[in-house]
Amino acid sequence: MYIKKDKPRIHPAIPELAKDLKNGNLDRREFLRTSTLLGLSAGAAYTMANNLTGIVSSVIPAARAQAKKGGTLRVSMEVQEMTDPALFDWVQKSNVARHINEFLTITGTDNITRPYLAEKWEASDDLTEWIFTLKKGINWHNGDEFNAEDVAFNFNRWLDPNTGSSNIGLFSSMTEDVDTGEKNEDGTPKMTKRAIDGAVEIIDSHTIKIKNSQPVLAVPENLYNYPTMIVHRGFEGNISAAPNGTGPYTLGDFAVGEKAILKRVDKPYWGGEIYLDEIHYYDHGSASAAQMAALASGQVDSIYEFDIGALQMAQNMPGFTIFEAKTAQTGVARMHIDKAPLDKREVRQAMMMALDTSIYPKLVFQEYGVAAEHHHVAQIHPEYFALPQIKQDFEKAKKMLADAGHPNGFEVTIDVGNTNGPWQQHTCELMKEQLANIGVTLNLNVVPSSKYWEVWKTTPFGFTAWTHRPLGTMVLSLGYRSGVPWNETNYASAEFDAALDKAESFIDVDKRKAAMEDVERIIQSDAVILQPLWTPKFFAASDKVRGLEAHPTQYHQFHKVWIDA
Amino acid sequence: MLILILRRLGSMVLIMLVVSIILFAIFETDKLSVAGKVLGPYSSLEQREIWLEKNGYNQSFWTRYMIWAGNAMRGDFGQSLQLKVPVSEVLWPRLANTGLLALCLFAIMIPMSLCMGVLAGMKEGSFQDRAITVFSVLTTSIPEFASATLLTAVFVFGLGWLPGTSSMTGGFNFTELILPVLVLLLYDFGYITRMTRASMAEVMNSQYIRTAVLKGLPYQRVIMRHALRNALIAPFTVIVLQLNWLLSGVIVVEVFFAYKGFGKLLLDAALFGDIFVIEACTLVAVFVAVASQFISDIGYTYLNPRIRFS
Repeated sequence: MYIKKDKPRIHPAIPELAKDLKNGNLDRREFLRTSTLLGLSAGAAYTMANNLTGIVSSVIPAARAQAKKGGTLRVSMEVQEMTDPALFDWVQKSNVARHINEFLTITGTDNITRPYLAEKWEASDDLTEWIFTLKKGINWHNGDEFNAEDVAFNFNRWLDPNTGSSNIGLFSSMTEDVDTGEKNEDGTPKMTKRAIDGAVEIIDSHTIKIKNSQPVLAVPENLYNYPTMIVHRGFEGNISAAPNGTGPYTLGDFAVGEKAILKRVDKPYWGGEIYLDEIHYYDHGSASAAQMAALASGQVDSIYEFDIGALQMAQNMPGFTIFEAKTAQTGVARMHIDKAPLDKREVRQAMMMALDTSIYPKLVFQEYGVAAEHHHVAQIHPEYFALPQIKQDFEKAKKMLADAGHPNGFEVTIDVGNTNGPWQQHTCELMKEQLANIGVTLNLNVVPSSKYWEVWKTTPFGFTAWTHRPLGTMVLSLGYRSGVPWNETNYASAEFDAALDKAESFIDVDKRKAAMEDVERIIQSDAVILQPLWTPKFFAASDKVRGLEAHPTQYHQFHKVWIDA
Repeated sequence: MLILILRRLGSMVLIMLVVSIILFAIFETDKLSVAGKVLGPYSSLEQREIWLEKNGYNQSFWTRYMIWAGNAMRGDFGQSLQLKVPVSEVLWPRLANTGLLALCLFAIMIPMSLCMGVLAGMKEGSFQDRAITVFSVLTTSIPEFASATLLTAVFVFGLGWLPGTSSMTGGFNFTELILPVLVLLLYDFGYITRMTRASMAEVMNSQYIRTAVLKGLPYQRVIMRHALRNALIAPFTVIVLQLNWLLSGVIVVEVFFAYKGFGKLLLDAALFGDIFVIEACTLVAVFVAVASQFISDIGYTYLNPRIRFS
């Protein structure tokens, strides 16, 4: 239940969190993250943490007194087609749009989520209902005032299956399954999703309530996932044709494959001072070599990323800074678990048992990556639960294959698109070597990256790159819940869905971690993915670019970046 | 000669016609696939069928072909699926960019390779000939990506003299052309040089040159008046045919230096499955191929009276 709106309210779980922090049962970062998610302002959370731990640190990034106004930041990054933010499937698209349109919340490089277009939020005690109070006095570029109608419009679009947005998986607790009246090929009812009654409710012009059928803690963090950018209530589907945002920049020239020019809006920005006059994105292709050459010769000031092969080159370039982000970015060899020969769980488990993931960081990423555990929850996720290690055991794996009807092994082909760099192919080549030990012949079908995205959900066996999400539960909701749009494995497990629901409902970190044991164990024992490693991310920038920080999701947040010319 | 030109023009038209039919059949016979490309992989069958009806795809193959060919002749190739603009809006600027690259290359390569070829062929077996031949073979045998990497390492990362990419994002910048032209020059000039050398050496060994020398004509006059014209017939054909290579064979260089040329456009379209751009690029590439063949044939006939029609 909610306290009356005119009274400041502290979620009942926050005192418990404070107690845990003081007693050393909770680390400082997790306290900040969880208390802000529960509606405590970032400033108050930092103050409370400082008082309780004695460590002084500020919500405000390093002083920017020396920041200089003006100038243009030039970045080398692929400039992709950019139409409907709800359908974004590449971070690069959102990086251009991020400076035009904004989000209700923002997750910083410190993994703390803070209010953005929302002034604050409050969660009900059972975490099923969330009230977002929106900031007042924010105008769209066309002059309209930003209000609750805009937010409701966006939620309703996301929850409409006809929109085709991946957000429907992220906010699955706001939806229910309904029978379409049609039948699938196997005669089972064809189901679709729709918003539950009262899923989105406008309280007043700047207050909106959203309702979940299950407790969900990560609503604010979900609202900074890149397809959750807020568009105007009159949005007609193409942001590049008719840009209209609340952000400090608008779109000037835009040519797919060439450039995107962002120009500062000629009005005061509601969010304070902005330093850069313009941000230019130039497309030099996805190859690191071209981007690095552009950086080295001063054609750009920063690049989106470079792959591990270019690290040494970057280290030898004077006048540039290398930024490394520890991420939960990864690649998964995901299987359609309903198609032979991967339809038998024992077969998939045997393949998992043939892999020794500890060698992948060294051989693929010069020891910069981290070995993964086949359940898509990273060690850096706050709710990560350490399961017992799966040991490489060829004999046991061979026996499992024999029991599953493959005494002589089998041959299978994996599609690799290198959508995130050549490391994906290198990883598959290592898997091929290891799987050969149990008689599994893994053929690599290397396809162009754009081709891979055409088949990523339909290919029986493919290697898909997944970007970072601040919570493990977010990616599991997006990719592994039954029937969600980005479920690429055809995995449908009521047990898993229930375990994930349970894990998402706990505020208490220890309880949430404990609940994640089941989630991780179920997905690992069902062996729907082979996940060898977590990848690091690198980018580089000229030393004259100040205020840059490496975001683990490679999100560009240039509001406080300046050029020290 | 007029008959030859008319015949060659007839062949050109016929080749273009056949290629266009094959191209159209390959890309547009499967109508649902076209609709799938346009509407995206997650479009429903119903959406695809509505699109097909709306865009006239339910007419017969030949009717659709005639409409498509008519539009193509007017420069209307449809809308790029990847770039979201009419194909013609991106095709002609990209062709112009590649044309600029070719122009710069030819302006340096032709005089340079002809001079070196003539110098080598004039005195076959001499030190001068050996040196030029070895240098030509060496540069031609280095793949474009290797020389591009080497030159970038030296001039961009090492000396910092030249820009590392050639995307002309800040407007035309002559210095951005230097590295791509240099790479293409290194790769191609040796070929023309060796062709010219071989042709020159053959001419220098012919009886009429020997006669001219024995007559006591100055050596320079023998070369300039008697040898050069005949020696340039074979290189002329080769040079004209380089136009084909420059159009779609320089993809490596265009990609390496992020140069927004025709080859890069074709590669991106092929990787993305942008069928309308692929169709347009293929038609243009075939047109340039047959046109350069036509120019080569006519030019060769003009330069070489022995094969001229009476």
